[in-house]
Amino acid sequence: MRARIAVALVLALAGGLAVQSVRAQAPDRARVLRAAADALGMVRWSDIGGANTRLPGIDIINTMELVGSGTSDMGGRLVKTDYHVALGYNPAAMRVEMTRTPDGGAAQHTIQTVRETYAWDESQMGAGLVPGKGTATPMNAAAQERLLQLWTLPFGVVKGALFAGDKTIVSTEGGATVLTFPLSGPLAGVTIKATLDGKNLVTKVETRPDNAARASLATETEYSDYADRAEVLTDIKTPGHIVRKQGGRTVLDIQVKTWETNDPYLVFPVPPNVKTAATR
Amino acid sequence: MPLHSRFIATAVALCVAGAAVLAQEAGAPRTVNAPPKPTGTTPRTADGHPDLTGVWNGLGDNLNGVPNQLANNGIVIESATAARDLHSGQAVTVFPRNTNRPLNNEQAERAASLLRRSGSNRPIYKPEYWDMVKYNDHNANEEDPSNNCMPAGIPRGAIPSYIAQYPNYVFFVYPGQGGLIATQTMYRMIPTDGRKHTPLQELDGTYTGESVAHWDGDTLVVDSHGFNSNTWFDQIGGYMHSENMHVVERFTRNGNTLTWTATVEDPDYLLEPWTTTPRVALLRPAAMLPESQPCSERDLAHIVTKEHH
Repeated sequence: MRARIAVALVLALAGGLAVQSVRAQAPDRARVLRAAADALGMVRWSDIGGANTRLPGIDIINTMELVGSGTSDMGGRLVKTDYHVALGYNPAAMRVEMTRTPDGGAAQHTIQTVRETYAWDESQMGAGLVPGKGTATPMNAAAQERLLQLWTLPFGVVKGALFAGDKTIVSTEGGATVLTFPLSGPLAGVTIKATLDGKNLVTKVETRPDNAARASLATETEYSDYADRAEVLTDIKTPGHIVRKQGGRTVLDIQVKTWETNDPYLVFPVPPNVKTAATR
Repeated sequence: MPLHSRFIATAVALCVAGAAVLAQEAGAPRTVNAPPKPTGTTPRTADGHPDLTGVWNGLGDNLNGVPNQLANNGIVIESATAARDLHSGQAVTVFPRNTNRPLNNEQAERAASLLRRSGSNRPIYKPEYWDMVKYNDHNANEEDPSNNCMPAGIPRGAIPSYIAQYPNYVFFVYPGQGGLIATQTMYRMIPTDGRKHTPLQELDGTYTGESVAHWDGDTLVVDSHGFNSNTWFDQIGGYMHSENMHVVERFTRNGNTLTWTATVEDPDYLLEPWTTTPRVALLRPAAMLPESQPCSERDLAHIVTKEHH
């Protein structure tokens, strides 16, 4: 009898601990994600201009524009690169403009754009929208790879982890906080593992696809040297150094000069021929 | 206090002064900014149309026309846990405030500037103008044409603070204000007698253009052209336009609410027509328009950064 009571107590205690552990996970996740969002300056509120308001904070990150330079992969070699990125999270879109100059070679200028499931290359900014003004080449098969760059930025990581809700796992590795969560939409099947530093800033992002056919979606990106890099200060912390690797090899190493938030006029209309190509 | 901070403080004080009128009416602070739900019946004039007469303001704009920056840009906070972008429908994460300490002026200005630019509803300009619009917004302190006591123009004026409706015309009043967002008082007298527009080539462009109105069911449709190019067509964004801009505003009264949208066409600058995110104002039956503040711009010459106000 005494043994049965002891077993029942142990089971009850274990059950209680399990419940507590489940309960503990949720607030811990919320606390960690809030800290990560706060560290980047994503959570903001203001009562100026309002009429007797006390509104909660919201995630104010939508469009961003960054300019930097460094090196990137071109045919297996790292070459001098000027890097200009415009991006938005509502809708999910990104335009990466690079001018790559190999030693002794001619500069190569590319503009790679993605908006949701559409991807295209632009011969000039906004090509394909006005007849006779540049060419937009449909690249819809590249949409996933391009979107991955958006969601592996520090702001994309925090947004993605929040969106994943209770599928986001918070753990500790080597004393550092780690977020692991699945992406969704066009990137469903890709898992992100993000490492935060002691200031709750995203320092490393690893992506793992669900099958070998999507091997190009396996990446590793490191972020460091966070600061407010906007000309008009925003109190938003952005990384000053970005290093991206694929298959263990560096494909991008950029020092960021400026990083603006919401201020710039950044739009990503899909050229008609890109929409048409997507329906074929 | 540094000079720059004093100017911010002045702007804040002016905004707060305007908001105080509402605060007295509203009681407890609002913790959501969802468009108000209409109550009451919609009064009608003798000719059967909804009567738009009255002082309109509230959750979208205060009596001095200062817009609520969140509703203005289309991010609507519906509860302590839910917000969405009105244009795209995309959810926006809400976080509780983690401090009761008021933001200092600098923090509040920076947050307001970001909040007002976080919505997704942006006009699509022809690509050759993208950099110019970006420049305008980035340098709005110097470039904003309404910053030197000039009229805000249409559709930037949005919902008039006062509407008087008569059998053959409507009369709109937009009180001006001083401070860092100084604008000139505007009024519009708009015929509803079925007359047509003057041909565009016969008009000299003006700030509010030439407007004619008609009723589309219970919605007042105000059609305007004949503008000058000296205004921007929204409160933020640097949205310039040409003299060929054509604006169609729609006013719909439902009980004690008035919903306004405007569609902007500009074949010179825009790739496609752009429609504002709807704004909703509340009728203030007991309110009186405040005195229009004298507009004497003294601040701009002393602003030393590009921070928005």
